Amino acid sequence: MKLYKKEGNIIQILSFPNETVEKGDYLLIEDADAGKALIAQVIDVQFASIPGILEELLRSLPDGGELIQGEDFDPLEIAPHITYIQDASLLVCKIRATVENESLSPSSSWLPSRSQSTIKKLPIPTLIKLAKIDGKLPIILGGTKDSSLLTIDATSLDGRLNIITGKKETGKSHLSKLLMLNLTGYKATVVVFDLNGEYISLGMTTDGKRNAYHDKIHVLTPSENFKVALKQLNLHVLLEILIHALHLPGTSAREFRRIWQSLKERDMLNMHELGETIRNWHCNQHVRDALFSRYYALVNSCFFTDNVAEATFLEECLFKAKEQGGAIIINLRNTSPIDRQIVVEYLLAKFVELLTSCRLKAIFLFAEEAHLYLRETYWDDIVTRMRHFGIFTTFITNQPDTIQENIYRQADNIFLFNFTNEHDLEVVSRAARVDAETVKSIAKDLPPHYCLGLGRVVRDFPMVIKVKALDVKTMGETRLFFKDMN
Amino acid sequence: MQPIPLQPKHEETIVAAVDTSSMKIGETATGMLIAVRGANVWKQNKSYRYIRLGPFIFHITEENKKEVYNALQRAYFNSPHEQNQSSPNLLQMPTRIANLLERWLQTMLTKTINNGLILFDGSLTSGTADTSTPLMKEILETARKRRNVVLAFSKMTTLRCNGHLITDILLEHKPPYLLETAGLKTKPPIVLLGDVYVARLTKGNYAFRLDIDKQVAPEQKIEAVEKLLGNDLLSQSYPETLRLAHILCTFTANEVIAMQHFTAQAYKLKIINRPDMHRLLFGPFGKGENNA
Repeated sequence: MKLYKKEGNIIQILSFPNETVEKGDYLLIEDADAGKALIAQVIDVQFASIPGILEELLRSLPDGGELIQGEDFDPLEIAPHITYIQDASLLVCKIRATVENESLSPSSSWLPSRSQSTIKKLPIPTLIKLAKIDGKLPIILGGTKDSSLLTIDATSLDGRLNIITGKKETGKSHLSKLLMLNLTGYKATVVVFDLNGEYISLGMTTDGKRNAYHDKIHVLTPSENFKVALKQLNLHVLLEILIHALHLPGTSAREFRRIWQSLKERDMLNMHELGETIRNWHCNQHVRDALFSRYYALVNSCFFTDNVAEATFLEECLFKAKEQGGAIIINLRNTSPIDRQIVVEYLLAKFVELLTSCRLKAIFLFAEEAHLYLRETYWDDIVTRMRHFGIFTTFITNQPDTIQENIYRQADNIFLFNFTNEHDLEVVSRAARVDAETVKSIAKDLPPHYCLGLGRVVRDFPMVIKVKALDVKTMGETRLFFKDMN
Repeated sequence: MQPIPLQPKHEETIVAAVDTSSMKIGETATGMLIAVRGANVWKQNKSYRYIRLGPFIFHITEENKKEVYNALQRAYFNSPHEQNQSSPNLLQMPTRIANLLERWLQTMLTKTINNGLILFDGSLTSGTADTSTPLMKEILETARKRRNVVLAFSKMTTLRCNGHLITDILLEHKPPYLLETAGLKTKPPIVLLGDVYVARLTKGNYAFRLDIDKQVAPEQKIEAVEKLLGNDLLSQSYPETLRLAHILCTFTANEVIAMQHFTAQAYKLKIINRPDMHRLLFGPFGKGENNA
């Protein structure tokens, strides 16, 4: 390999056919005289611009598009040299760091010698060691391109905002399960908003037996084993639900506040009394109708109960998880869109309450397709305010444009699976820790179950990872009509 | 001048062509590296086939140029047709060696084809530094013995008629046709071994000097061109077989790089980039030595 050109932090390297380099590989450009080396990542592989190549190709097809038949007497065997030159490739690389005295710096301000530098492939294990990617709390994500294991440090997810995105059936949920199970292994409290019921069987192996995580997986299904009593709620939480999930107008909300105060003073905060009080409350008929319609929405969700004993499972699970680590799976599979919003509004308020009172240490929240249940004003709240309370979110989506741009800008880690759509890649490339060229070039060619890891987890050295298989019942498979026919 | 109209004759006839090319691929401290390559192309049963020889690479110096040239002559012809001639100038060596290869390839075609048309690139003029009259006569004689007709197409000519280049004389006559030139005289030792025609074989303003072996009967000469029209593709008045021969032997920039790579790898020869004195002295006004 030969150094050809450098423009900004893009470096172009001429590579010959006997040197096999692919997109995503790392190269070490070592200048012995300078005592430094550049670490560059291949983001594109192109044909080298060889003079005369067009003539060469045209010459081979002159007979009406068919190869002209003939014999070549080439006693000096020049033909292999011609092929060697023709097949030379140009590696477009992005400079990631400079190595000097075995320490890394993000600088790309120096220029290695074009004639004297040696260029070789940098094995991923060496890079991992140099960049100190693996830490004290290792999570094995899978294999790298050169078949070595890629281990990240669980602390690189701590206090961070993560995004897992990619098109359908590329393995996003699989990676999120891998991350959350490993986090529970380190006694973390994990909460999953499970939209499709994919996480509910994580405590089982693929053949239906209990696995090591069985006792740490707590599945809460709203209106079944997960209910709340009005007594457990703060007024502001219920008002948030009424205003944002059920769109209660301001005037009616003010009236509801009075009703709530009245019930609270009489220690009669329950659904039955709430209904009765609305019925008998002296107010405008339209306000009453508005309150009644919301009241029945709450009742019909079956999420609220007057039996306090029924409404303790969430806290029990959370405290159990706090002690020995665990995952609380909020199964939203059969929950209507409005009920989902009610449940999520309640949960986020509850988490903040528990975290501010230091009854919980921190929560790793995994939110699948969050745009389906998270109101717009909550996005910023989740990534800024709630992060300070200790809610560290991982968004999982196959529609990257449903996540706001400012969320991408603040994302610390991105796990990017295959996208072929330019628009989708354009959205993801807005993330602050990512350069657009890398995202657009590498993500397009990722096969299923391969992801591009970006951000703190890989110490800003984007890496292609083959996500390892899990021996858990994943339930993420799409139900097929023709499945049994094959 | 009266045009000789032509009618394509589709009687199955082999059309074969020869061409060679040479290239200076670099300079060394003591001389230069040259490459030559030649190709024979023939059309038979409606498809083209070729044999391509080379590239042959030579390191030519002032010291070895005579030895190399004579050794090649001996190897190609086994007869000292040109032994008495002075050895070529170093700069002329690429074309002189390519010429030797071309004459050898022409000899091979004349010895292997029967009842065919053999197309040469250039004219049938002999007695020049690189084409000896006996050798050229021998080639044409061998061709005739096997009932072949040699047609030589020149892309460039200096022959003029009434002050105009003969290929610029375009008559108001529908192609294909030939124009016969008469009364051409040459100074010794130069000899014309062919009758010279202007050939306009397709529509368009393209015409070429065409030399046809003098010893062939006049009606056979016309018939040969008509067979060419009936058996080969002609575009811009130029036969495809000859075009392919040219294309196949020409060196592309890619091949030049490959050959430089080969010499550096195999023989550790270091190619020197000499400064272009025109550029050096005249800056942007120097157009480079090749274009001066």
